Amino acid sequence: MNKAEQALRELHEMDALAAGASPVHALCPLAKFFATIAYIVVVVSFGKYDLAGLVPMVLWPVLLFTVSGIPVSTCFRKLRFVLPLVMAVGLFNPLFDRAPYLTLGGVTVSCGVISMLTLMGKGTFCLMASFLLMATTRIDALCAALRRLRVPGMLLTLLLLTYRYVGVMTEEVAIMTDAYKLRAPGQKGVHYTAWGSFLGQLLLRSMDRAEELYAAMRLRGFHDHFHYAEAAPCTAEDAAYLVICIAVFLLLRFVDVAALLGSLFVR
Amino acid sequence: MIEFQNVSFSYEADHPVLQNVSFSIGDGEAVGLIGANGAGKSTVMKVLLGLLPCEGKVLVDDVEVGHGTLYEVRRKLGFVLQNSDHQMFMPTVYEDMIFGPLNYGATREDAEARADAALERLGIPELKHRHNHKLSGGEKRMAAIATILAMEPQAILMDEPTAALDPCNRRLVINTIRSLSQTKLITSHDLDMIRDTCSRVILLSGGRIVADGAADTILRDRALLEANRMELPLSLQ
Amino acid sequence: MHMADALLAPAVAATMYAASATVAGVSIHQLKKDDEPQKLPTMAVTSALVFAGQMINYTIPGTGSSGHMCGGMLLSALLGPQAGFLSMIVILTIQCLFFADGGLMALGANIWNMAFYGCFVGYYLIWRPIMQGKSGMNERVRIILASILGCVLTLQLGAFSVVLETTLSGITELPFGAFVALMQPIHLAIGLIEGVVTAAVLVFVYEARPELLRDVKPSGAAKRSLKATIVILAVVAAVVGGGLSLLASSNPDGLEWALFGNEDAGYSANMGLDEEDFGVSSSAADTAAAIQESTSFLPDYAFADSDSAAGTTVSGLVGSAMVAGVAVLICFAGGFFRKKKAA
Repeated sequence: MNKAEQALRELHEMDALAAGASPVHALCPLAKFFATIAYIVVVVSFGKYDLAGLVPMVLWPVLLFTVSGIPVSTCFRKLRFVLPLVMAVGLFNPLFDRAPYLTLGGVTVSCGVISMLTLMGKGTFCLMASFLLMATTRIDALCAALRRLRVPGMLLTLLLLTYRYVGVMTEEVAIMTDAYKLRAPGQKGVHYTAWGSFLGQLLLRSMDRAEELYAAMRLRGFHDHFHYAEAAPCTAEDAAYLVICIAVFLLLRFVDVAALLGSLFVR
Repeated sequence: MIEFQNVSFSYEADHPVLQNVSFSIGDGEAVGLIGANGAGKSTVMKVLLGLLPCEGKVLVDDVEVGHGTLYEVRRKLGFVLQNSDHQMFMPTVYEDMIFGPLNYGATREDAEARADAALERLGIPELKHRHNHKLSGGEKRMAAIATILAMEPQAILMDEPTAALDPCNRRLVINTIRSLSQTKLITSHDLDMIRDTCSRVILLSGGRIVADGAADTILRDRALLEANRMELPLSLQ
Repeated sequence: MHMADALLAPAVAATMYAASATVAGVSIHQLKKDDEPQKLPTMAVTSALVFAGQMINYTIPGTGSSGHMCGGMLLSALLGPQAGFLSMIVILTIQCLFFADGGLMALGANIWNMAFYGCFVGYYLIWRPIMQGKSGMNERVRIILASILGCVLTLQLGAFSVVLETTLSGITELPFGAFVALMQPIHLAIGLIEGVVTAAVLVFVYEARPELLRDVKPSGAAKRSLKATIVILAVVAAVVGGGLSLLASSNPDGLEWALFGNEDAGYSANMGLDEEDFGVSSSAADTAAAIQESTSFLPDYAFADSDSAAGTTVSGLVGSAMVAGVAVLICFAGGFFRKKKAA
């Protein structure tokens, strides 16, 4: 399976997950969107040594994973994009910040290690939050919700139209890559003699495709905007969900739950 | 030439795309692979070409398709894609034709000679220096077949070779296929074309082989075809 | 270069969102004024194409590695800066939402770092001046020059912004100078490769359908052979690459200097900390430490005369952790390549 095919499968996978049914899926997209943003902001706002404070934040995504039935493994595969840069930045912390942070049984853990772990935790938590949003919300529903937030219609129309064609184009690239490989054994990528034409051919066809698409749109009365589904109304339950989420996040942010729990056992 | 032994494949554990598919195709045989959309025809092709991993064994000329043998296997198989645009990514027909042979180790002269021979063979020498993105649908299909012929494969695989062609071009492609002496495996919904070009037919349904036999027997079996979302070929209705 | 949420402070992220949103607003306004409804399907299909095009690996001759193309320059050359910018936003949003490539909160910063520089700076500062210049240069040479210069410049700006945003967010202990010295050369190489690939694609488009490109005069000139085009590409890349690497290497010890030296510049603050805590105080030790510091990554690792056993243990632990981390990284990278090969 090549890279494009892999991307295609991931795209279909997200579609399939978002089309599922669960209490989380049923929530209004706007409430989920704001809850996700609130979660990310709170997670990111933890101090760089506040690993203990950060850890309890894992409970929210864990709860959502459980309630929505979304497989955690799918989420962790997506870490491969985010983690390298976070790691690259975080890995230097232990080198530069070597003040001891705490000593456990004669072993001293430095501040840098703590801040590195905190950074990686933040990266993973934020990823889980946005993954959960997309795995439980359909893209058209999210766009409808964003329209209510006054995000320009042109941008959202473009997003949906592009989303439609990303599948088509990625499939084309996947097939072309296979076709290329079949006749070019042992090459890791496209040879330089075909650099321009490989994508160029596809680009020219895409331009024709775009013209055809525009003709088809016009024939069916396209004027200057698309008619997409209206956003689902938000109910009192959705509002309650959002309020509870934010309250819990703030509680976890300002009350050191881990220390409280710990103090029950350690004195 | 081509042998499938208990081949199974699935993307997700509980949704098998192919289940225990077994068949073998002899040298020079022409076989039609038919079945409804989603029956697994394309997957058979991909597995055969080593584009997808599978359970079971796939043999090409007694060589098992696997990691180390892809070069050898693919050199023997020429695959004509359904969408010629996907196959022709070089600027001109000619550049596309020599692309495969060069990559499989032919010298430049040899590759050029093969390309010329293939064009001559199909009667389309005038397409030689045309731009791929300016060819008509029929020209594109013929050129795509020519690029595969230039690779001098032992077996030719075709995915819907007559799709979206006008009757004249369709007939031209059918006659071209008939004139090729290589082993052929053709997937299509165009059962009349299959009847014209293949002596044997394999019918797939839900990832399993439900019938495998002489084209004349299977393509005349109205009940069997209709039970598998197909129709009698027009020429037999 | 996609930033993750964890690398940004909320305030920095919000600022970048505001900046990107402003540019998007202005772009939409201008596009609406020009009233080009047929642009929408073209924009959609082209951005889908750029998204998919980034899945293609281009083998770099003479090396085992591969490169990709640069979306921003390609889009603004085809669609103009405003439409290109919106298309890039959409691409980055899809990457963020469906592939977790770049975070939701970091999206504003990512749009700025990749779309704004690629489309606006690349177009107004590089593409248009070069394409409309009065010099008698051949159109192909101009396209190649503009693509390579554009990609290099916009990637440098993007990489610098990543450093700036991360440092302003107070995320990394890596000093600003060292971080810059780390990021810029890497992105110089990436920019060059992306530039050449982008140039190859644009030259192909020029030869087939020149009317698709912005600011290009369709001329009836005969098609240049592939070989000649490649030679021009190589020469331009070599000249640009050579010139820039000369500039970059005028201070060859830049990275080390930034990492380990120069108390005047204030970089010693981090390095100084552990000396106090580990209780190394004699002048001999100080000298030794200074030498160690300038030569090794983990200075305390080999302190035989240090009376602080704990300090050494910590260094050892940290060192082992780093080794483990690197090992994991290597396995990770190895797995990636194996996958690519197998696919």
